[in-house]
Amino acid sequence: MKTVFVRPELCIGCRHCEIACAIEHAESRRLFDAIHEEKKSLPRVHVEVGVNYLTFPNRCRHCDPAPCMQVCPTEALYRDRETGSVVVDYNRCIGCAVCAMACPFGIIHFQRVHQLDTDREVNAKCDNCIERQKNGKIPACAEACKTGALEFGDADDLIRVSRKDFTLRMIKSEGTDVEVPKIPANVRGYRAILEEMANL
Amino acid sequence: MYDSNAAKKLAEGRALDATDQEVIVKAVEDGIETAWDRLADQQPQCGFGQLGVCCNRCAMGPCRIEPFGKKPVRGVCGANADLIVARNILDDLSTGAAAHSDHGREVLQVLLETAEGKTQGYQITDETKLKAIAKEYGIKTEKRKKEEIAKDLARAMLEEYGTLKNRIQLADRAPPKTKEIWEKTGIVPRSVDREIVESMHRIHMGVGADYVNILLHAMRTSLSDGWGGSMMATEGSDILFGTPTPLRSRTNLATLRKDMINIVLHGHNPILSEMIVKAAEDPGLKKQATEKGAKGINIVGMCCTGNELLMRHGIPIAGSFLDQELAIATGSVEVMVIDYQCIFPSIPQTAACYHTRIVSTSEKAKVPGATHMEFRPETAIDTAKEIVRLAIVNYPNRNPDRVRIPAKPIDIMAGFSEEAIRKALGGTYKPLIDAIVAGKIKGAVGIVGCNNPKIKQDYGHVTLAKELIKRDILVVETGCAAIASGKAGLLVPEATDMASDGLKSICKALGIPPVLHMGSCVDCSRILMLAANIAKELGVGIGDLPIGGAAPEWYSQKAVSIGTYFVSSGVYVVLGIPPKIFGSPNVINLLAAQLTGLVNASFAVEPDPVKAADLLEAEINRKRKALGI
Repeated sequence: MKTVFVRPELCIGCRHCEIACAIEHAESRRLFDAIHEEKKSLPRVHVEVGVNYLTFPNRCRHCDPAPCMQVCPTEALYRDRETGSVVVDYNRCIGCAVCAMACPFGIIHFQRVHQLDTDREVNAKCDNCIERQKNGKIPACAEACKTGALEFGDADDLIRVSRKDFTLRMIKSEGTDVEVPKIPANVRGYRAILEEMANL
Repeated sequence: MYDSNAAKKLAEGRALDATDQEVIVKAVEDGIETAWDRLADQQPQCGFGQLGVCCNRCAMGPCRIEPFGKKPVRGVCGANADLIVARNILDDLSTGAAAHSDHGREVLQVLLETAEGKTQGYQITDETKLKAIAKEYGIKTEKRKKEEIAKDLARAMLEEYGTLKNRIQLADRAPPKTKEIWEKTGIVPRSVDREIVESMHRIHMGVGADYVNILLHAMRTSLSDGWGGSMMATEGSDILFGTPTPLRSRTNLATLRKDMINIVLHGHNPILSEMIVKAAEDPGLKKQATEKGAKGINIVGMCCTGNELLMRHGIPIAGSFLDQELAIATGSVEVMVIDYQCIFPSIPQTAACYHTRIVSTSEKAKVPGATHMEFRPETAIDTAKEIVRLAIVNYPNRNPDRVRIPAKPIDIMAGFSEEAIRKALGGTYKPLIDAIVAGKIKGAVGIVGCNNPKIKQDYGHVTLAKELIKRDILVVETGCAAIASGKAGLLVPEATDMASDGLKSICKALGIPPVLHMGSCVDCSRILMLAANIAKELGVGIGDLPIGGAAPEWYSQKAVSIGTYFVSSGVYVVLGIPPKIFGSPNVINLLAAQLTGLVNASFAVEPDPVKAADLLEAEINRKRKALGI
């Protein structure tokens, strides 16, 4: 199973993923044109601020079975067999937002899309960049992410990193000092200052 | 739906002062956007930028360095994190130095034109200071008219902006030991403009790649500000408008008046604000004001031009940097006059929610939505009167139903120039030195700098000041820090009750507050002179003195320059807001540790003001020990 795995400890809130996502889903697919399009393409990945100014890039998990698919009354949501992604047929979407009520991650959002002739707002959630994937590319958000907070690959491979982290902690008894991925001291120091400021 | 409890809680989180909180609630009720809202809208702020590893200088970029040890480790040009961080900080610093120095240049130009008889409303007020500085510059003073001396002095000082002498005269005021350190380190400032221009050169792609060398030039540039541009701004203003002496006044948003025409003077340069104060004294204008049903014209200051007026004339000061929108939100401001620096570009939008008119006055600082009434020394009084007239005409447009002004202004004492402090001590620093040697006063700390919505307004300043005076440490302040202490009641002699016994006894004997207001942000040069004169009396360098500096709530590039010229002069500085350097462990190590070996001072970052006081106390003890006291 391929997925975009999120490592929130590596997210530094730059929002490159948001920009790359918006460009990818714009009609022109070019930054300088995208910002002038009549139906503006909005990001489908959301970098949210948590406590202490730490951030989390939240995007569709492409669940299987997908709660949004199960509740959609018009079957506008369907699964792309090749990539396993949950995608939206904009023509079928009636904007009832029942999918958003069912979504456990709150990542569904509605907007006008260039694929439709009308001004209806439809579920324009993450489509896992299936077109890019079919052309051998990885999703735009993961490509844009320089820190590895969003990493595309086989889920089990990506999880193995976390498993190794746990194993190291257990056998070396080094507690939280051993981190995979490792956070450099200067970044840890900076985050500690942000945390202190948030708690003043 | 509007929830008054939620608004109150929000206000308590944003500002320490109760009058500020009251107006923040009103701003929320009125739907006024403030800097706090804009900070929330900006979340999350980009981590590359926060760490200083984003470079947007050339067209091969923008580039950024991955901070977790992955790729990319270099920009397209090949610059690594150390170089990108160093170039960015030099950029910020030279911007700040330029702001101070250009302000100074304008003061000196007015001094020159006044000496030539070309200006309207200005005069040479402090002849003693004029002659004293003229002597430093080797200008003949005997049997000469003050205008002739001023003409020569203004020219000599202006010449130092681009001088070929390779030295700045006022930097000669530093103690010999401090100057030796500068020479050894290679950071003696060579002229005001040259260091700034050279900074711009050095941050161009492909000039320097050594972060240490770049940061050494940053130190030299900062010295050309502190001992150059800023000091010239202070001295030039003193000659024109008088050297401050202790006086009483009031502060906070309650200095705005319900029954009077309110004019807020916001910005930095006294060149403009002094003339408006003069114009408001005009009997004809006063009469016009009463004809409109007002009890008179109420002039209040804001930010550093407010500090300039407070220091010399006791003009009440309505608030600091984060109060600019709140003053307007009281609904009682007829005109806010702006010159430059620290003025929110969105201030006309804030004003548009009320009857308030924003008047821009500097050719350098035009703001869309403001009424531009350009200020020229030749026609200064005419323009000032015109601005006051605009306020009078605007008074009937005030909607009394939308006015809410807090009830109680706070008493303050200000006007502590270096000369005034020396005079209060009896003409010599000996009594202060004796008190320090005896341990009655452990040392002194300069708290300076701005407000920043990232920290509760005034919390950093006030908590640190209170904490230090409890530990027998005298506090001197400038800028928004001083206004914060004013609002918190720390700038009056009665505040000595909050100080520990040793400091209390000295302050009581001298009749001074434990926290001394020394002026605007360019007047940090007064703190340098205070330190220099004490060091010279003791025969040591500034770096040997048991003193420290702090900028608990800084935001501005000017603060980067101020902090650096203090450290370069030998004063340890604690910053309450982290500078954008954390992407480079090498730069952190240089600024926080290695500098001590060069200038016997370094930087520290500590947002918690109580912990910052611990750091400053430890530094003061370190230096006391080295002095053998």
